[in-house]
Amino acid sequence: MTSNHSSQLSGTGRRDSVFIVAGIVWVVIYWIALSFLRNPQTSGPLKVAMVLSPAIPFAVFLFRFIGYVRGLDELHRRVHLEALALAFPIATLFLMTLGLIERAGMLSAKHWSYGNVWYYLPLFYLIAVAVSWRRYR
Amino acid sequence: MTNRLRELRADRGWSQADLAERLGVSRQTVNAVETERYEPSLSLAFKIARLFGQRIEAIFEAE
Repeated sequence: MTSNHSSQLSGTGRRDSVFIVAGIVWVVIYWIALSFLRNPQTSGPLKVAMVLSPAIPFAVFLFRFIGYVRGLDELHRRVHLEALALAFPIATLFLMTLGLIERAGMLSAKHWSYGNVWYYLPLFYLIAVAVSWRRYR
Repeated sequence: MTNRLRELRADRGWSQADLAERLGVSRQTVNAVETERYEPSLSLAFKIARLFGQRIEAIFEAE
């Protein structure tokens, strides 16, 4: 029984590294796609390929992340659940407020479009994970 | 809810990491249960009780 638990714990470490690597690959491909899309000389078909390309490593990342969360123990899973419960309303509030400010004509859509705002969503999640962990430490 | 987990673990001379390995959870989970910041699920409570050879209510007590 103990050896099983040891292998489970070492397996968790390996799963961590796999999903982190998948996340890094996703970010790198996203930045490559972004640089192509910013270039006015990029052709139409290449633009479509660049728009879709981050979705593939993201799908791998998501698949690995789900596996990682399923491998966590009950406290860690609760931390992630509470983080989602905190991050989702914050993201909703953030987007709603930005939308209202934009409608009021006080915000430039050029600087606060979907392309810029989505970065905040994983950031909210990471902050929420840290906040949630504080309760149990 | 209060518990006697720290006392039972100390009696056996186990570290939190030792107990965590025996229960198949992380050391942080053992620490959170011991400090009563986290109430374990029924299945984890049963595992703890079985490991220490005691009834659940002899380890965990509702305040």
